Amino acid sequence: MSHHTINLNVNGMPQTVTVEGNQTLLEVLRETIDQTDVKYGCGTGECGACTVLVEDNKPINACMTLAATMDGRSITTVAGLAKGNELHPVQQAFVDDFAIQCGYCTPGMVMKSVALLSENPNPSEDEIRHYLEGNICRCTGYAKIVTAVQSASENMVQYAGGDAA
Amino acid sequence: MSEFKTVGKSEIRVDVRGKVTGRTDYAADLKMKGMLHAYLVRCFDYAHANIIRLDMSEAAKEPGVVKVVGPEDVTSNIFNQSVIDIMVPPTLTGPFGDIDDQKIFADGRVKHYGEAICAIIATTEAAAEHAAKKVIVEYEPLPVYLNAEASKQADAIQFDERKPGNLAFQLPEAMFENNIMGHGDVATGFAEADFIIEDTLYTSKQKQCQMEPNSYIALYDDSEKLTCWSSTQMPKCVQSKLATIFEIPVARMKLIQTTVGGGFGARLGMVLEPHACALAMAMPGYPIKIQSPREEDWLTSPSRHPGDWKVKLGFKKDGTPVAAEANFASYKGAYYLDGSGVAATTGGWLQAVYKWENLAYQGQTYFTNQPVCGAFRGYGNPQQTFVMESMIDRALAQLNIDPVEWRTKWHKQVGDGSWFPDVPYSSVAIDPCLEQGAEAIGWKEKRARYKNQTGTIRRGVGVGMTTHTSGAFPMLLEHTVCSIKLNEDASANLTFACSDLGQGSHTALRQIAAEALDFPVSDITLNTQDGDITGFDIGAHASRTLYVGGGAVIEAVNDAKRQIFERVAKLLEANPDDLELKDKQVFVKGSPSRSVSLKELLHGSVFNFDVDLATGPSFKEGQIEGYASYNPPHCSPPWAATFIEVEVDMETGECELLEMVNTHDIGRAINPAIVEGQMEGGAQQGLGMALTEELYFSEDGKVLNNGFTDYKMLGPSDMPKMTNIIIEEPDPFGPFGAKSVGETGLCTPLGAVANAIYNATGVSVTDLPITPEKILKAIKAQEAA
Amino acid sequence: MSTRVLTKFDLQIPQDIPEALAILDEYQEKITPVAGGSDMLIAWKHGVESGNAMSVTALPGLDYLTYDENEGLRIGALATIDQLLRSDIVREKYPALWESAEIFATHQIKNTATLVGNCLRASPAGDGSAAAYALGATLTFVSKDGGERKEHIDDLFTGYAQTSRKPNELATEISIPAPKVGSRSAFIRVTRVNEDLAKLNVAAYLKMDGDTCSEARLVMGCVGPTLLRLPKCEALLKGSKVDDATLDAVANTVNDEISPIDDQRSTAEYRRSVAPVFLKRTILKALS
Repeated sequence: MSHHTINLNVNGMPQTVTVEGNQTLLEVLRETIDQTDVKYGCGTGECGACTVLVEDNKPINACMTLAATMDGRSITTVAGLAKGNELHPVQQAFVDDFAIQCGYCTPGMVMKSVALLSENPNPSEDEIRHYLEGNICRCTGYAKIVTAVQSASENMVQYAGGDAA
Repeated sequence: MSEFKTVGKSEIRVDVRGKVTGRTDYAADLKMKGMLHAYLVRCFDYAHANIIRLDMSEAAKEPGVVKVVGPEDVTSNIFNQSVIDIMVPPTLTGPFGDIDDQKIFADGRVKHYGEAICAIIATTEAAAEHAAKKVIVEYEPLPVYLNAEASKQADAIQFDERKPGNLAFQLPEAMFENNIMGHGDVATGFAEADFIIEDTLYTSKQKQCQMEPNSYIALYDDSEKLTCWSSTQMPKCVQSKLATIFEIPVARMKLIQTTVGGGFGARLGMVLEPHACALAMAMPGYPIKIQSPREEDWLTSPSRHPGDWKVKLGFKKDGTPVAAEANFASYKGAYYLDGSGVAATTGGWLQAVYKWENLAYQGQTYFTNQPVCGAFRGYGNPQQTFVMESMIDRALAQLNIDPVEWRTKWHKQVGDGSWFPDVPYSSVAIDPCLEQGAEAIGWKEKRARYKNQTGTIRRGVGVGMTTHTSGAFPMLLEHTVCSIKLNEDASANLTFACSDLGQGSHTALRQIAAEALDFPVSDITLNTQDGDITGFDIGAHASRTLYVGGGAVIEAVNDAKRQIFERVAKLLEANPDDLELKDKQVFVKGSPSRSVSLKELLHGSVFNFDVDLATGPSFKEGQIEGYASYNPPHCSPPWAATFIEVEVDMETGECELLEMVNTHDIGRAINPAIVEGQMEGGAQQGLGMALTEELYFSEDGKVLNNGFTDYKMLGPSDMPKMTNIIIEEPDPFGPFGAKSVGETGLCTPLGAVANAIYNATGVSVTDLPITPEKILKAIKAQEAA
Repeated sequence: MSTRVLTKFDLQIPQDIPEALAILDEYQEKITPVAGGSDMLIAWKHGVESGNAMSVTALPGLDYLTYDENEGLRIGALATIDQLLRSDIVREKYPALWESAEIFATHQIKNTATLVGNCLRASPAGDGSAAAYALGATLTFVSKDGGERKEHIDDLFTGYAQTSRKPNELATEISIPAPKVGSRSAFIRVTRVNEDLAKLNVAAYLKMDGDTCSEARLVMGCVGPTLLRLPKCEALLKGSKVDDATLDAVANTVNDEISPIDDQRSTAEYRRSVAPVFLKRTILKALS
């Protein structure tokens, strides 16, 4: 098995880890760096529970990414969103609008929503629904998630700092 | 102005901050010192085969492997992974004939694709999985039975000698004459009918697909205590079952409930808890973690019962429902689980909705070489709702009667028998549901407009309705123990083993406690997870947690208040019955100046050393703890109706969902946003069962779509715009008048969407799911006819 | 067998093209090159053994998307589907490609998947590859000793999940000619739910001289072992006015050219029933 030593920046923290060639980013984040806020839901890129953002707020499936190919990349997970105790506007909207039930899809769903709003600050309902495809929720019927993204879109304007993630 | 302070308010959920920051741990997120990883080796070669040889010796030599564990290395006790059997009262256990028929590993014979054969314990998950490839199993293939018809054949191999003919269950003669549930005489009814409709239908094998895959940790420690970390819906029943399987006292069988990433019935009982515990017993002192791949959820946790329906309905010209006859032959899967439950309960739902003058339901379930079936949100009700609601609308079209008017006229009323006929309805508010729902979707105008359409794109509106239950009283045990400890600063800890599957019950139960105590919600916490501390509770099933749990919480609060009032009565020289608690003051009704501060009273109840040197040390009365061992007096059935508008492409059979109105007779919405969440989430599952979701098999019994790539659920852009209408007419038995909302939301969309497609196209698809393939085929058949 | 852990393989991550070519030359068919890798990761998860894999993600200078009137659209092997979607050129000049990018998988996958990878996957249900096929794309392969080789997409798909790429070749680019005057294209995909693999897809490229069609390339997916061109239907269009009669003739012919099967996503019967409908609709969409 090939070994690769890679440098990652995860939620602002530099990490140097040695990974095997067949390890996914999901496995390395969860098992090696203890970033268990990134969830395993299907392992086949269908459910989006493992969604993290790389560089310019690009969402990717950590389960569909070979960790060794991520050398030098910056990764944001849901645990890296809040500023101290202050939730990110997307997180706050998910809380306020009852967009969370069992919560298992939430980390991926929040990251996907952050990615959407960073490239499209005022999405229509239809745009939100289509963009969220690839993130499965089995509890909410998506209704309150869509509402939360709409509220977040309104609140983002006032969000201190202005940067999305 | 509401009469309540917190009941009726959409209070922010107590659990969501941890979930939205990712700090909440699910079972898979837990790591422990010395933890080892287990991988269960499963049979992916056959759905039915004898095991001729099992050789784990090569696997044992693989790097990282600590132990290989086969059938000989674990308990040989048999069990039933469901818990329904221990909830059934003794009077029913005999006639129902529930059996235990499962072992940790396949007992010499594999009965379904993916059955567990043995396990590898290793230092890492990867090592365990890689070593699993070295396990050698030789099989002797057996014939495969994938439906009731095949399984019941005389020459079919028997699944269990106690169940001849592979008939796992049918309505027992001892309780139901001629194995028939119902009333009156359907033959007479059909003789009187002006119009009879008859058909065969199929309802499919749907999977819960909760987002959290199955992960468990178990540890058999130095004090001979077996601890299992599990996200089961039924912690106390599972604790009880595990103690029985592993023959240890319940006191040494600890179940720690981890955050539940969805359940919907898949965790109504055990999934891999027995395996985790068996491996922990084989490897004492080491926490053993099992993380099951997503694909295995379809193979190991129970699905909805699929099956074949025969239905015959008779009406008078004016729509009078004179007779209904139905037979549901379901496919049990390889093991018994809820064999009696769904087959029997389906008949209950069927007779609960409308005033059929004569009704006869028969239900059987046959063993098949399929992954097991058990509980799934609705528990037979989605099946019957699809079947009955679509058959009724086909009849009404012939009789030229409006479906909303018919339903309004013929649904059961307060005092009529519910799903359990001896228990009459305590409240029925389906009329405003139908009226307001019809108004919201534009029923009359659209039904008129969509008559006689001719183009390629056609629209239709449909309605579906049903009733359900709030808890399973009186069919099943509904016992719930709850306690509330009042602290020295007038805050309170509730202790209660109820699981919150994500629906928000922990929040709503705190609201109920807060309302009953007149405390702020933030002064009350709820401790649910530690199985050593919590008392018994049946668990989260049958839409009971808010209804029964809420009743238990109120009773525990009342017990605490009784103790408070007795003490204050002495201080104020008043009658306890004349006292009232408000804003943490206890006072005499009508004279608020005669009062005692609750905080001072409770502080004194904790710090109660009362020094008087003359008489020696003495103590005031101690800390107050309210306790309830509660059984509900009723099952207060809720009602619901769903309206859907669709657009169907007559050239392709494709169906688009345009709009959906969900209405629900809730009694009282303790937390309206949470109620809406149940309706909306149920809708996604009901629409999925209606349109896309089904587990399917190759001829030799291999599951072909156990993954999200081919098990398709509706996504955010597939879901229609939804409107929720909540009707609040308080029920006399529910906590603050509340009834349940957990399951009905899944059922009613099935009838509504089937009927909307029928309204649009004039064709009816009788087997689920209603795919474009089937719609188009039916359209072409109609054109040809 | 389903697992949470990928099968064992050695991963090579060449840092430049010569290194990649040397690796391919050494390992030949014993190494699996991956770009976005989404399809391969699923295969590895389901127990497919590779032995060796080579990620091309670190190769510099392959994530380009350029356009000029002479060379047309040039898409580097590492340009993602997301890049196509963001390109106004693609949107305006290659509607079929843009539409296929829009519905391509999920936004997570769009950020890693590439059009070159999609073509080399050679799935009969490919979306981007169907559009590229209809638009007459050309792939560029390079190899250690063979230099550069161009392969027209008409010659690329040799069987189910098989292409004419030689084991020592690295695909570096896919290019599509600049649209001719009067040309137009469209793409339609049919699925069970919106986010899904196709149960049928159609890509159409037409060059119109007034009312008359002078050139047609029609591609249908999920109706054979590879994506299929529909030469008989194309012939009916070429030189004809695209009126109801022509469209009916095309619709009546398509079933002669396809051989759909029953699978997880649909039935042969349904595919045969709707192939004429969706072919017609795709042509009309291109013309609209």
